[in-house]
Amino acid sequence: MAVIRDMLRRIGPLLLLIAIVFAIAWLASFAGVVLQRRVIFGLVNLVAVVGLYIFMGNSGLLNFSAVGFMAIGAYTSALLTMLPTMKHTFLPDLPLWLGDAHLPPLAGAFAGGGVAATVALVVGWPLMRLTGIAVGIATLSLLIIIYIVIGNWTSLTGGQQSLMGLPAYVGLWTSALFAAGAILLAFVYQETRFALALRAAREDEVAARASGVHVLRERLTAFVLAAFVSGVGGALFGHFIGTLRVESFYLDPTFLFISMLVVGGMRSLSGAVVGTLVISVLTELLRLAEAGVTLPFAATKVAAPAGLGDVLLAALMLLIILFRPQGITAGREISFPLFAREGSRKLTPQT
Amino acid sequence: MTATANSSSPLLSIDGLVVRYGQITALSEVSLHVDEGEVVSIVGPNGAGKSSLLGAIAGLVQPAGGRIAFAGEPVAPRALERTVRRGIALVPEGRHVFGGLTVHENLMLGATVRNDRRVVDDEIARFFDIFPILGERRNEAAGRLSGGEQQMLVIARALLSKPRLLMLDEPSLGLAPKVTDRVYELLAEIRAQGLTILVVEQNAPRALKAANRTYVLNGGRVRLAGPSATLAADPDFEAAYFGLRTEAAS
Amino acid sequence: MQMIIQVLADAFSLGGLYALTALGIGLIFSVMRLANFAHAEFVTVGAYVLFALSGEPLVMGVAAAILATMALAVLTERLAFRPLRNADPATMLISSFSVSMFLQRLLVFLVGSRIKTLDPLPMLNNAVTIGGVQVSSLKLVTIIVCAVLLAGLTLFLKKTRFGLQMRAAAENFTMSRLVGVRANTVIAAAFALSGALAAVVALLFAAQTGFVQPRFGVQLVIIAFVATVIGGLGNLFGAAVGGFLVGIVSILLQAFLPPELRPFREAGLFLVVILVLLVRPQGLFPARGLKERV
Repeated sequence: MAVIRDMLRRIGPLLLLIAIVFAIAWLASFAGVVLQRRVIFGLVNLVAVVGLYIFMGNSGLLNFSAVGFMAIGAYTSALLTMLPTMKHTFLPDLPLWLGDAHLPPLAGAFAGGGVAATVALVVGWPLMRLTGIAVGIATLSLLIIIYIVIGNWTSLTGGQQSLMGLPAYVGLWTSALFAAGAILLAFVYQETRFALALRAAREDEVAARASGVHVLRERLTAFVLAAFVSGVGGALFGHFIGTLRVESFYLDPTFLFISMLVVGGMRSLSGAVVGTLVISVLTELLRLAEAGVTLPFAATKVAAPAGLGDVLLAALMLLIILFRPQGITAGREISFPLFAREGSRKLTPQT
Repeated sequence: MTATANSSSPLLSIDGLVVRYGQITALSEVSLHVDEGEVVSIVGPNGAGKSSLLGAIAGLVQPAGGRIAFAGEPVAPRALERTVRRGIALVPEGRHVFGGLTVHENLMLGATVRNDRRVVDDEIARFFDIFPILGERRNEAAGRLSGGEQQMLVIARALLSKPRLLMLDEPSLGLAPKVTDRVYELLAEIRAQGLTILVVEQNAPRALKAANRTYVLNGGRVRLAGPSATLAADPDFEAAYFGLRTEAAS
Repeated sequence: MQMIIQVLADAFSLGGLYALTALGIGLIFSVMRLANFAHAEFVTVGAYVLFALSGEPLVMGVAAAILATMALAVLTERLAFRPLRNADPATMLISSFSVSMFLQRLLVFLVGSRIKTLDPLPMLNNAVTIGGVQVSSLKLVTIIVCAVLLAGLTLFLKKTRFGLQMRAAAENFTMSRLVGVRANTVIAAAFALSGALAAVVALLFAAQTGFVQPRFGVQLVIIAFVATVIGGLGNLFGAAVGGFLVGIVSILLQAFLPPELRPFREAGLFLVVILVLLVRPQGLFPARGLKERV
């Protein structure tokens, strides 16, 4: 019995998080189409934020390039799953095998993740030697490079023009499944001793190296895994919207996802989920406020000025980073109070 | 409540000082004092807490407990810029010249808190008289000087702020014995002019020779204290320095 | 010959703008080890002030722009960066990024995201003839202003007492405080200078482009960051040289690259950044005191 209880305590956070995801999807299934679409968007964002977390949370390093890998995943999936006839029309210069390719959507998403992961492997191998400010600037440069390359490789991606006609398959339960899958993947990874070694290096790089941790290898593993998840997230995003624009994979979503992770708490998987939830809800409320509310007693519409929502969210992010940089969860995972003995289980080493 | 310093109350007095870094206690209940015009040395092995002590006096570290008073006034933690304005000059471990700036510029920075430009220029000229080598290289980057030259430079830089108390953290570290001799000769001259000096050293014999009184610090506590001459002859001295249990240890 | 002179004029005027922007960023980085992304918004705000005072005499517009950006810079430091003085690099970078996004969105909220046109230096919309060759007056003035400001800043840092204190703080922040340099004053001064530089850049850049929008300064600053990294983080001389190099290489590539490859030249630039960070992280002209910390 103690063994089962122990195991439950260990995977408690995972079960709870997945339950939250499905609960949200289930609740949304009763709502109107508009709200459902917002929820799907939130779940797709969750995949992206979990991808960001896999690297940033475990390594403690800043990664500005996650959205770039989303773009790679999105465009890869698009090119592989779009109707060949559409491709011949919009992208006449595609190589023949690519132009004729027509994979099922799921394969497209995973292929997107795969290509993103491969790119991450190649660029990550040199990049993971950097730390501190250098890795921040390097990953920002990487994001910009990806943005420029995709935006100008017109024969492959359509360049600055929108790429239309992506098969739409991202519904409520699909996105929930993918979100749950991403959470599962992140959880399994962070329980491995590789991730543990990485977190040790996060706390004290010198001591970790001295203990035999192969820091470069661990960072690269996290980077590649994170890129895979980001790539899949990008594919989901593309297939949800139905149209791809390179502009949607640049600084604004970068800021959004980093905000979600930081506000929730950079150091825990629950932080990724909580942060996405909080910011998504706030965004929705602010959007409603900007759309206007008709007051019941006075027949007038009261609306917040346009753009206020964006300002307030950015202000929230600033306040959190200034006064509570560890975020809402502060590195702790959520868990069932029943199964917790000395409080929630710390998935990070005791400091 | 201000108490003007007079010859009967110490220039620097430390009472029950506690310094912690996270879980590690670097200093526990350290008390000592320095009278005006004295040279006091604090000796101890690596990790004894000596640098933390100077750090607390200078405001570099925030004490977890205890009191530090200089010239009768309490010392506020973290107020680094006020340290030198109160009359405390610190020469930290490792010298820390401003490597990219010239020798002359380093010296001028020592006088940051002073307004009497002419007098400062005179004093700098006199330093160059006493140390012709520094004078010759006055427009060279300070980072290019040898270890000993840098040590002289930072002491001169500290003196230019006209301190009442000069604190030195391991001035002999990394220097050849002959060079260390010169450094301590300089310190003796400074002391002869009435300046109060607090010097922290791993090199115990050197410190004992130079100081009126010595404290032996180990494991964050004062193990032994007294006039240097007495301590030098004390059979428990080595034990106290190396952290072995002695009769005198409290 | 005409083309060569024009390319050179383009190269040096763009290089000058990048150099001034890089200096503004470098000033702050050298004393605080902070990569100030919000510098983009300092430039943008300067341009908007110029736009707002379009009808007024130039002197008034310029003075107002300089005062506004200096005030913004000092205020940003006081509110958003001072609490983080001892934070780790990742937190500071995220914070810097957040400040930039916040100011950008505040601008969008206050003035809208539509492009506004302006022509702050109409008297320079002509060309002068030098040695039989026509050169844009604006470009010429840009080069001269950049050179003068660079010289002025250098003089200030090397010859004045306060400049010496700033250089000491950039070398070894803690030690400089121990000799009595006031940290808050030096940092505020770095931000104020940075803001003033941003205003000048805004004036010259707005005169060249003719319009302003909420992302006005972003492109400049991103490239100026590249220049700072290549020239050597923490080294002002390196930042300026880096800025010139980037501007010159950028224009030359634009002139001589085949058209299909031109958009990729910027990607190439960022590739160089990554290479520099990997191979020679201290940049071309490493700052001497970069490693020293008491």
